[in-house]
Amino acid sequence: MTSNLSRIGFGLAPLVALLLLWQAASAAGLFPPQVLVAPADVVAALLAMWRNGELVAHLSISLTRLLIGFGLGAAAGLAFGTALALSRLAEALFGPLFQALRQVPVLAFLPMLVLLLGIEERFKIVVVAIAAFFPVALAAFDGVRGVPRSHFEVAKLYRTPLLPFLGRILLPAATPPVLTGLRIGLTRAWLVLIACELLAAGSGIGQMMEMARQLFRIDVVLAGVFVSGLIGFLLDRGVKLIERRTLRWKAA
Amino acid sequence: MNVTTLFDTPAAASPPIDGALTIAGLSKDFTVGGRSLPVLDGIDLVVRPGEFVSIVGPSGCGKSTLLRLVAGLDTDFAGEIRLDGKRITGTDLDRGLIFQDHRLFPWMTLEENVGLALLNSSIPKAQRARIVAEHIALLNLAGFEKAYPHQLSGGMAQRGAIARALVTEPKLLLLDEPLGALDALTRIHVQTELQRIWLRQRSTMLMVTHDVEEAVYLSDRVIIMGAKPGRIRRIVDIDLPHPRERSLPQLHRLRDEILAELIQPVPTPGEPENLVRLPVREAM
Repeated sequence: MTSNLSRIGFGLAPLVALLLLWQAASAAGLFPPQVLVAPADVVAALLAMWRNGELVAHLSISLTRLLIGFGLGAAAGLAFGTALALSRLAEALFGPLFQALRQVPVLAFLPMLVLLLGIEERFKIVVVAIAAFFPVALAAFDGVRGVPRSHFEVAKLYRTPLLPFLGRILLPAATPPVLTGLRIGLTRAWLVLIACELLAAGSGIGQMMEMARQLFRIDVVLAGVFVSGLIGFLLDRGVKLIERRTLRWKAA
Repeated sequence: MNVTTLFDTPAAASPPIDGALTIAGLSKDFTVGGRSLPVLDGIDLVVRPGEFVSIVGPSGCGKSTLLRLVAGLDTDFAGEIRLDGKRITGTDLDRGLIFQDHRLFPWMTLEENVGLALLNSSIPKAQRARIVAEHIALLNLAGFEKAYPHQLSGGMAQRGAIARALVTEPKLLLLDEPLGALDALTRIHVQTELQRIWLRQRSTMLMVTHDVEEAVYLSDRVIIMGAKPGRIRRIVDIDLPHPRERSLPQLHRLRDEILAELIQPVPTPGEPENLVRLPVREAM
């Protein structure tokens, strides 16, 4: 208990130091106060937006996009990666294209996608889905391919029927790398979503920041930075928690 | 008091009728770098129902390959393998195989691992849990039903693997260096355990081992194989009643005899196999 608390305290120390440094820099007037806003002003902006519901509205819009886009992208990635791993034909056919496409940064697709889909909801959902698809597909491919031959042999020996083989042997064996892929896909999807909203959107956390920048409300911009960072951190931690709970059979 | 009578069950008294293994003209090649490499060449072997036979030989003599063929994991071979007259064409629950590593699935508890072997068996679902519990108890693992493999010691995990292999009550149990990964003391414990189980179940056992002492202690016959290509060089009868005392001088003599044979150079191909029956019974 105490060691847990002290560990959290340790992790928070640099954050507190950064805040103090920031406060000192703005108090010393190193930059114009409109550019380097004091932390206290950011907190005030955050609280004000929280109270008038603006923050919650933007946040729920962003999270809904994330949920839909990630859900679609991850599901497609799981199916595609598994098929690629199980079928030599699928690998020969789609492997090279997949390996080439996944090297392209998702943001490089944006100009094309804006032209094709406009800047409405489906554009953002497609971008988020693409961002989630590649890491999840890669993890599913590696996960299923990485199942050791000995697992297959034991199943063959006991003539395990197909359904229990898939559900009780193949799936658990591939789960650890797939969960890691899902975690990477989720945080990457979130980053890309914020970027999209900064570029082109009528709502969402990113749009809130972009609007504030145009109005020179740097306190609101920084509040957005804080919120998007916090959400990303919580998403990552959440999946890690799920990983730890599902993989309890692993040696500690 | 005679120790033997304590172990002698009625089942042990009447020999089993099932589990006769016949291997005839068995050859197997591996293709390495485009060239065909003979691994097993002209293996002929008959194992009687309920017999415990061990195979020893230098590494690369194909003894593990032989077990994989009998298990049905690999069906690409020339010749014939029959169990009770039925030709082996693939895996079947009437044959069990125990590997050197326990191969329990790390995400399943011990009882789930053992129960997995019954998923495709004809045993009614209602009885499976009881049968699994019985076999876990048989291997002295009662109390560890809910344990994951990483929570078990090496010896316990291997006993778990033995329980899984026995739960389908195979007529023939194949053991591929089952105790090879265990430390010396655990090994001796599990050997004793194996002997006790074999005397109870009386299924036919075919075991590959590197440990000549283990082979001599457990087996009715020890097969000595030569390498390149793998052939049977000699078959040694261990004509001593079970269960045995480890300290029996006859066992030590036989061990030395087999070790000496193993160290000898490989005889020229074509030489007839000599079946040697050593007169050890009179010493009892």
